[in-house]
Amino acid sequence: MLDKIRVENLSCFYADPKEKGGKKRVLESLNINVVENEILTIIGPANSGKTTFLRTLNRMNDFDPNYSRKGAIYLGNDNIFNMNMEKLRKRVGMLFAMPIPLPMTIYENIIYAPKRLGVVNKKSEQNEVVEQALRDASLWNEVKDRLNSSAMKLSGGQQQRLCIARILAINPEVILFDEPCSGLDPISTAKVEESMMELRAKYTIVLVTNNVKQASRVGSRTAFFLMGKLVEVDKTGTIFVSPKNKQTEDYITGRFG
Amino acid sequence: MKRKIDSIIEAIIFVCGILSIIFVALIFGFLLKEGFAFFKEFGVIGFITGDLWYPTSDPPKFGILPLIIGSLFVTAGACVIAVPIGVMSALYISEVAPKGVRDVLKSFVELMAAIPSVVIGFVGMVTLVPLVRTIFDIPTGLTAFSGSIMLAFMAMPTIITISEDAIRSVPWSYKEGALALGATKWQTLHRIVLRAAMPGIIAAIMLGIGRVVGETMAVMMITGNAAQIPYSIFEPVRTMTATIAAEMGETVRGGMHYRSLFAIGLVLFLITFIVNFTADLFLGKTKK
Repeated sequence: MLDKIRVENLSCFYADPKEKGGKKRVLESLNINVVENEILTIIGPANSGKTTFLRTLNRMNDFDPNYSRKGAIYLGNDNIFNMNMEKLRKRVGMLFAMPIPLPMTIYENIIYAPKRLGVVNKKSEQNEVVEQALRDASLWNEVKDRLNSSAMKLSGGQQQRLCIARILAINPEVILFDEPCSGLDPISTAKVEESMMELRAKYTIVLVTNNVKQASRVGSRTAFFLMGKLVEVDKTGTIFVSPKNKQTEDYITGRFG
Repeated sequence: MKRKIDSIIEAIIFVCGILSIIFVALIFGFLLKEGFAFFKEFGVIGFITGDLWYPTSDPPKFGILPLIIGSLFVTAGACVIAVPIGVMSALYISEVAPKGVRDVLKSFVELMAAIPSVVIGFVGMVTLVPLVRTIFDIPTGLTAFSGSIMLAFMAMPTIITISEDAIRSVPWSYKEGALALGATKWQTLHRIVLRAAMPGIIAAIMLGIGRVVGETMAVMMITGNAAQIPYSIFEPVRTMTATIAAEMGETVRGGMHYRSLFAIGLVLFLITFIVNFTADLFLGKTKK
């Protein structure tokens, strides 16, 4: 199996607000890989660095002047820190915790990025891309009659799936999910999880979640982060049945966190 | 005892609140009374469409079309100048400028709003007016164009501060969402941020226009005050506001001329009311 992403000795820091020039380490010498077409789930308590890690994977943190990092991340053979940011984000899409529909119609939301990136130009191609993306995100049947109404009017779960469709429209290689269901009810959550499982065939997925059960339901492999360190990573089945580390076991069984 | 104090304070606040309404209502009522008295004698249509303003000749002619067109020229010119510059600078201040630059710029913009209009008027008169005359080689620099430029300066602080608020209130998550889809910073700014802030920006523009339409002192000093229909922006014009300010002192109280100025005031009030009302509509839309 091929490694899609290889993380080598990654450390991340935030400027310490308490002392001038001081830095707080939030990720420490991280080495991990993501295999092609797997769902790698990352679990861990608050402040374990899992979201920082995820946002580093498509360099969303680069806008934060307080943030700095060391180490390398390879996507295929390319070091992402040497890549053009827009090109990187085309290859590595990201879904946020709260659904963020852009203030436009459903149709425009999906076609926005492909049009920007020059992937599609003709009107007929656009329609095709929109339909395919919505179908892949299992949203097509619910919205096909109102593609031109505002995306802000959709329900929370629909908005989140719209955001998934929006990412699929640019056909990335990797999709990052940052606690995508933390604001959703159980039924919407189930639907989002269902789409994730289907997407696995075509894409590589990294999922950060606070919901340990969700990690066990959808993950191929699971990594446990604690205080900025990777404690353990293994097949999801193994991690949940016989974790090697005591801390992992404590967290999974709900003794802390 | 405590309840008594409470009710007294309540009464005082009530009176203060109601007073401002009463004042506005009184002013409006007075305007209506004098304005309508004029319309009864002279008629509305002849007033608005008449192209000659000779209030003191015999018989007097009360046509305010030249004044309306004068106001329109100056206002439109000011908008063409102030809107692009104002919106861009709001965008720069809120999205592009580093923090130090932003703070300095913001305080300067606020300072700009504090310059009295008569100061803007006389600075324009001694600097801009001769410049316009020599650059465009025209007989006088006192033109609608000069007025537009100075009024643009007066509208800009309003446009900048309110647009900047609107742009800043676009949730960070929108920008993040667009960036995560591979949009560049500029694409995010112009497709997402400007679009989401549009109602607020339109309201800012409307309020800016409202200020320009009602402005008196600066235009009176720079636009030349010729009550004739202009054929280009490089001709002197006279605005409605300047007419009222210039002529009110010379009228006979209760006379036709006196009342006609009130009628102009009424027309002006109507225009600014519509502009402000539209701005309110858009502002309400952003809050939803």
